[in-house]
Amino acid sequence: MPMPSTRRLLAFLTMLMLMLVACGLPAAAQVLHINQAQVAEGAGSSFPLAAAPQRVALPDNWARTRPGSSGPVWYRVSFTAPLAAADNDLLSLYIAQVCTTLEVFLNGQRVYSGGRMKEPLTNNCNHPQLVTLPTALLAPGENTVDIQVVGHPLAELGSRARAGGLSALDIGPQSQVAPRHTLRTTLNVTLPQAIGATLLLTGGFMFVLGFINRRESHLAYFGALSVGWAIVDARLWLRSLPLANSVVEFLLVSMLAFITLAGVQFLLRYAGTRQRLVDRLLPLQCALMPLTLVLAGPSRLHGVATAWYLLLALEAAWAAWFYLYTQRRARARGFWLMATLLGALVLAGLVEFFAQQQGLRPLAAHLAQLVPPVMLVIIGLRLVQQHGRALQEAELGKAHLEQRVREATAEIERNFRQLSELRVEQITERERKRIAADLHDDLGAKLLTIVHTSESERISTLAREALEEMRLSVRGLTGRPVKLADALGDWRAEVVNRLAQAGIEGEWSAPDDLPQTLSARAYVQTTRILREATSNIIKHSGASNCSITCRVAEGDFVLIVQDNGEGIPLELDGRLDRGHGMASMKHRAKQLQGQCLVESGPGYGTVIRLTVPLDRALEAHPQ
Amino acid sequence: MKNILLLEDLPEIRVWLRKLVLQVFPAAQISESARVHDAISLVSAVKFDLALIDLGLPDGSGVDVVTKLRDVQPEAQSVVVTIHDDDEHLFPALQAGAFGYILKEQPRELITEQLQRISQGEPPLSPSIARRVMAYFSAKAKPQPSMLPHVSLTDRESEVLLRVAKGYTLPEIGVQLGLSRHTIADYVKQIYRKLNVSSRAEAALEAQRMGLFR
Repeated sequence: MPMPSTRRLLAFLTMLMLMLVACGLPAAAQVLHINQAQVAEGAGSSFPLAAAPQRVALPDNWARTRPGSSGPVWYRVSFTAPLAAADNDLLSLYIAQVCTTLEVFLNGQRVYSGGRMKEPLTNNCNHPQLVTLPTALLAPGENTVDIQVVGHPLAELGSRARAGGLSALDIGPQSQVAPRHTLRTTLNVTLPQAIGATLLLTGGFMFVLGFINRRESHLAYFGALSVGWAIVDARLWLRSLPLANSVVEFLLVSMLAFITLAGVQFLLRYAGTRQRLVDRLLPLQCALMPLTLVLAGPSRLHGVATAWYLLLALEAAWAAWFYLYTQRRARARGFWLMATLLGALVLAGLVEFFAQQQGLRPLAAHLAQLVPPVMLVIIGLRLVQQHGRALQEAELGKAHLEQRVREATAEIERNFRQLSELRVEQITERERKRIAADLHDDLGAKLLTIVHTSESERISTLAREALEEMRLSVRGLTGRPVKLADALGDWRAEVVNRLAQAGIEGEWSAPDDLPQTLSARAYVQTTRILREATSNIIKHSGASNCSITCRVAEGDFVLIVQDNGEGIPLELDGRLDRGHGMASMKHRAKQLQGQCLVESGPGYGTVIRLTVPLDRALEAHPQ
Repeated sequence: MKNILLLEDLPEIRVWLRKLVLQVFPAAQISESARVHDAISLVSAVKFDLALIDLGLPDGSGVDVVTKLRDVQPEAQSVVVTIHDDDEHLFPALQAGAFGYILKEQPRELITEQLQRISQGEPPLSPSIARRVMAYFSAKAKPQPSMLPHVSLTDRESEVLLRVAKGYTLPEIGVQLGLSRHTIADYVKQIYRKLNVSSRAEAALEAQRMGLFR
């Protein structure tokens, strides 16, 4: 939430206000406030008395008093010495603002230099000066302080804030003037440095973020805006550059076109729109503005730049209005925050504008120039927060999407599996039908002819059995499982009918509602075994009664066929008669991983116990 | 005196069947045919009392003859004589109006007995056919287009079908339900008839629908 940052900002502003108030308190009695000086222009190393000095009020703004001049201008003030001698304190001269730089002479002796006095000048416009007046040089009674100032004429500058001039002077004990110097240094230098560094970092971060995330291009523009602003603001505290003033001014002013581009585009993109015309015109402006500056030349830079400033300000204002208008219409959250921030920017711009008109700057102007970078930092924080939230939402969305994709994939795979199973089933079914048709039409017809034309009953029977076998084999070809309940119905109908026709009483007992299934193979083999057993009973046993019991026990299907016939006679070697087909029944049971036990004794009837494991019967596939 | 159609493509089997039919109906007038096409022409020309129809024929399926016979001579009894014992082959023939079926490879005595039973109005019904009929009617129990005549089985008919599906013989079912063999046979006949009526209505509707979309 932006609240903490807003609160922090408020606290910071309150602190600044307090400092401002403290600063505005009337100076202590010992501090001499000087707002008049003798002034003369001259390039020499001492006050040019020959140049007919005049009186001037301080602060002296060159833009008004000597337009076009770049100095050196000498200021002379006098004061009576024993100001600070009383309490063992150093006497100091405090200069709130001097532009561009200065040297200080006490009683003709040079005691202080602000830096380079020749091009490129050291830029001290934003640096308050504290000059210690050496006690040794102080004369009792009247002392003279000469200040040599060099600067740039307004016409060559992009900003009035850098126009040449000198503020009022304060002379007093260091203990009293030093805090003012410290406060002003903090406001003018330290804070801009700190905020500039923050802006540079957040701006760089946002730029990279926006650059990577093309869909959030507003972040990239905001980053460019922040970085641009930080660079322009660096002029506030950066004293010396190895470049001529005209080059520096040209670069600074040109930079504003890029900053405006970034700012306008940021607001448009942030509002969610993109305008082709703006996309084309703004870069054009970035090229056009330096061109006009170059054409106008350094001496007319200020005028041209002012015209451009007006245009850029209008563009920025239009973008801000557009942004707020769309946000208002969309009833977007955070409208009021952005409106406040933009309002503060406009206010700061107005203060800056009036301060520029005034020339040398009041403290309010210094505060005002801190407002834009602070606003940018706040907007940056808000953007980061929005980005973070969007990222979080995207992560959530992504997780949701991944979940959906996983589900969809699983479903597709499932469908595909079902489809391929279905396809295999269809192909198997078709093939089975083809083979079945072939067998029936060809083999079946021939066997049938044998069945009905053979003179021998034995051959007819064999052919009939072969036909039945063939049909079962065809059925075994299909992988389609048979419900155990259905199989029991088929078997019961067949066995009971056959027994009844043979005059044997059949007792069938099987549980109802069996949910299990048998593989086609198990069904076919069990049918054969049962058929064989029934045939044996009808042909050989001489039984009058036969009971068939079916049950499911521990995953096994158990079938018990018991008759009250003569039983199976033993062969000479003690084994049961092979003629009764017992071997093939056992073999078939074995193929199903089951077993077929035959118990018989002459006169005791026969019990055939068939066990087929149901689960394996399910797994068993036709070969 | 019966007029009987015998449709069978294998000459030996045809001769054998002819003998068998003459054994059951000694005075029968038998018209033989080996092809669906010929059989359909015969059906249009001659009035039959009974038709023995093989299913798998060189020029088509015997089911077409069953359908034709049902259309032009509703009183004639169609009996399917086939080597196919599975419901997949038999069911369409029964839907088309066949009144019973005989499996070719069965011993002569059994076939003669079945033929006699069928001609007396006692068609056979195997468990697998019974299951198929049950499945057919239970699928029909779901909402149907209103233009279809609503044909459904009575509770008794369903009961008989269920018991046949479980493997009980018709006499056994008669004992279980306390009904005469004759009554049970009537139920089976009703089941055959309803299957035919419902299937024909469905086929007609299907044809109409195809006609609409043609």
